[in-house]
Amino acid sequence: MVTPSTIDKLFNMDTLVKEPAAKATISDTPSTTPKTMDQHTQPSSAASTPSATETKPVIEIDNVSFSYDNGKTNTLRDISLDIAPKQVTAFIGPSGCGKSTLLRCLNRMNDLVETSMISHGEIRIMGQDIHAKDVSAIELRKQVGMVFQKYNPFPKSIYDNVAYGLRIQGIKNKSKLDEAVEKSLRGAALWDEVKDRLKTSALGLSGGQQQRLCIARTIAVQPKVILMDEPCSALDPIATAKVEQLIMDLRQDFTIVIVTHSMQQASRVSDRTAFFYLGELIEYDETNKIFTNPAEQRTEAYISGRFG
Amino acid sequence: MSSLPDKKDAIATSLNPFKQGKSRLRTIERIQRSVLLIATYSILISALVVFGTIIKNGAPVLWDKGFSFLTEKPQTLTVLDVAATEGLEISADGFERIVGDNKKLPVENSEEFEKSYPHTRFDLQPGTIIGDGYLQLIENNNHDFRVGFLSRSRDAQVGFNLSADSEFRVTSEQLEEIKKVDPEIVAGELTPVSEETNYFRVRVEKGDYEINKATYDALNPTTLIYIMLQSFNDDERNQIRSTKIPNSQVVTLSQAQYAACLAEEGGLPFSKVEPQVSVQDFLQFSMPAGQYELASKVLDILKLANPNASFVSLHNTERGAVELDLKEAVTLSLPTAAFEQVVRDNPDFKISNVSNYEVKKPFVRFDLSKDAQILAPNEVQLELKGENAGSGALNILDEHSHSYSGGGILGPIIGTALLVIICMTVALITGIASAIYLNEYARKGRFLKTVRLAMLNLAGVPSIVFGLFGLGLFVLIAPQITDTPSSSNNVVLRVPLAKIASEPNLRDIENNSIFMAESHHKTSDVVAAASANGKARFYNGWTYLSFQGWGTCMLAGGFTLAIMVLPVIITACEESLQAVPMGFREASLALGASKWQSIRTAVLPYAFPGILTASVLGITRVAGETAPIMFTAAVAERSLLPWEGLQSHGFGAFLEFLQQSVQAMPYHIYTVAGRIPQSQYTEPMQYGSVLVFLMLVMSLAGVSVYLRIRIRNKIKW
Repeated sequence: MVTPSTIDKLFNMDTLVKEPAAKATISDTPSTTPKTMDQHTQPSSAASTPSATETKPVIEIDNVSFSYDNGKTNTLRDISLDIAPKQVTAFIGPSGCGKSTLLRCLNRMNDLVETSMISHGEIRIMGQDIHAKDVSAIELRKQVGMVFQKYNPFPKSIYDNVAYGLRIQGIKNKSKLDEAVEKSLRGAALWDEVKDRLKTSALGLSGGQQQRLCIARTIAVQPKVILMDEPCSALDPIATAKVEQLIMDLRQDFTIVIVTHSMQQASRVSDRTAFFYLGELIEYDETNKIFTNPAEQRTEAYISGRFG
Repeated sequence: MSSLPDKKDAIATSLNPFKQGKSRLRTIERIQRSVLLIATYSILISALVVFGTIIKNGAPVLWDKGFSFLTEKPQTLTVLDVAATEGLEISADGFERIVGDNKKLPVENSEEFEKSYPHTRFDLQPGTIIGDGYLQLIENNNHDFRVGFLSRSRDAQVGFNLSADSEFRVTSEQLEEIKKVDPEIVAGELTPVSEETNYFRVRVEKGDYEINKATYDALNPTTLIYIMLQSFNDDERNQIRSTKIPNSQVVTLSQAQYAACLAEEGGLPFSKVEPQVSVQDFLQFSMPAGQYELASKVLDILKLANPNASFVSLHNTERGAVELDLKEAVTLSLPTAAFEQVVRDNPDFKISNVSNYEVKKPFVRFDLSKDAQILAPNEVQLELKGENAGSGALNILDEHSHSYSGGGILGPIIGTALLVIICMTVALITGIASAIYLNEYARKGRFLKTVRLAMLNLAGVPSIVFGLFGLGLFVLIAPQITDTPSSSNNVVLRVPLAKIASEPNLRDIENNSIFMAESHHKTSDVVAAASANGKARFYNGWTYLSFQGWGTCMLAGGFTLAIMVLPVIITACEESLQAVPMGFREASLALGASKWQSIRTAVLPYAFPGILTASVLGITRVAGETAPIMFTAAVAERSLLPWEGLQSHGFGAFLEFLQQSVQAMPYHIYTVAGRIPQSQYTEPMQYGSVLVFLMLVMSLAGVSVYLRIRIRNKIKW
């Protein structure tokens, strides 16, 4: 749980040495050598449950090709990867490599693009092919929530924003809603900051608070998986730190898939990392290994900043 | 080296790199600038001139009349040139109107007094039977009182005077009927009479003929088939018109018809004439001169039997009496003289609680010191004439009327408001629905492009075309659910729905000429019979879906305007939907909302300000259109407001309300400015109407801007 005191600690030089994760947060060197990455990622890997990788994967992406134009050209080609429960999985890669597209396939947000289609393969979440005929995208999205790149709270009150997902499910009971709103806001480490102004407009919050509100809104409907599409790209480093801390806290309850452009961020928050390049999955492994000892030449070149 | 800076300065001053260019170029630039400036300012100036003219001419009218300009119906004022006189009398209200409308009237020695009229108040009981004419008298004196008839009694007694002894000749069937209704009337002796009637069978050869009106009228009831190439007017008795007989035919003519055909120049030449004789039996009796009480049905038969007998009707109208459909007693009042006549002439007039009272009216007596011009609405002018008819004080030198020169513009304002309400209800429901479909649901592709193109074209269609379209679709063929469908040949289709029609009340049957038929007849037969009988509508117990159009009414006008404004509304709604960030839809969907849920909760609320602005702009456009309502809804003259004088009750009254034509602001302005004779009296009305209209439209636009800002402040992203 991120509290104001932990944030203070994050920026207290004394604690920096003791908390490598925090040090990573404020480090703004564009490229880091594998050696320093090693130090940074060690604790977060250790934090994940050792058995996590051995349990049955929540998301199985099986040989998937995806096209935005009715199969004429494939934006994604033959992607296969499994995502383990209660872990943070990061997708990295240069712009246009298809990582966001893959993310949006996972809760069928690509359905909004009429000409899009999975031209090959299948995606299974909790063992169910999500493109099967009897799968409702609505029910799927209740289980697979999403946080967007640009924080997008509705122009309503903070309370109404968090309660939105429950209300459209038809829950009207006031006490139930109150309870869920508080729980979600606490879960998103926002409760203490907004508890006195729940009825004021969400647009009055700062950028970082708005993004955490969006996360609270997502966890309010109790999904199994949370997809995050570059959640910190519009935030300053301090707000980024808070959101990252939040992601690490949420790992205990949710399976998180995060798309990011910042390799530092991937290394700081994720347990496993997938590197995409030009619509193909180049390498997928323990974050630790990707950043210290990548198997592929291209991965190494990308993370060391030689291209991309 | 030390001289270098100086040298540089010298160069700088002599060769200024930013030196002004040639003066010619500067002049050209100045001219360019002033052309643009003039173009801009000319807009401003023309706006000022237009507004200035309207305000200069319109403001005095509003100043003079104040609020009454908005709350009064348009009136026709009569200008009376009156000689100087003494002792004119008029009610205080009328006096106030006259003085108010004629500020410069040379009124002197005005004194107030009271004049009283005797009135009688009485309770009218259920079961009353009353003569039709008297009922109208009561209705005219009691404005809230309108009743349905329970039944019209042709057997009710009618008083009449037979001025001379007369002989009547009736057939035995007619006698039976008389005896059934009124056995005592045929008291005298009956003499059987046989009468020979002469007929002529004549042959008419085919060909072209010139016939006169008398021949035409005589031939009209016969079976002769002919084609009239021109028709007669009723007032031209002896004109000759060409007629074509397509085939040689034989027709039978009565003696009178035959005589009429031969009487004048230009009759038809008959090639073969065979006289024929038929014998008819009559019963003859005589009635001495005197007063009688008869059922009106009997009177009709007698009149038919002896066209030469002189009847003078004493009381009740010849249409007979009606039994009133009263559930409980109602209190009514009449001027005492009229009341006494009603009671005297209607034996079945059931009343109670009769009381006399005086109606006191404040009156004013005044003098006019010199010849004057009095501008007055018709009722005031009539009152002035009526009250001074006895004294002869009023000496009218000249008198002329000017339509729309007085009163206000209440009717047009209300009409326009109603049209706008109907139009916007229809246009917003359809427009928002289709904008949502086009923007949120429809696949981007050829269909969408075609729809957009169609909409673009629709927006560019001249409004008069919409007017004609509305005339064709809504006025003439739109479907209507009705118990009494039209029997016109123009009705495309009549679909009987269910046998649940409620019988029209008697007054409707008579006023609207409804043909009454049995429910087992075929619709087409009933229609044929109705049109053969000259009835515009028919009733046979079925409720019909009849494609007979809605007629010229506000519903048709509202729908026509709605179609005209739809492209504007749809485009604007689409734009406001597009302005809602995609992120709201995505966020909502990602939280498990269905498509419609996300539109309803995360898109529409934020598109609302835009839709609101669009609809208010739509209102201003719709309110100002003349062409679409010319054929579909608007009338120049209408004395009743839409909710006045409705005949039906409940939902029927609502439908009747919608099926009325209305006055409308733009059409009213057009009428006043261009369709009536212009005079100094009508001109102020014209400018006043324009100013009010302009203010209404501008305040609407203002409201829309204000609302938009307010809502936009509340909801923003």
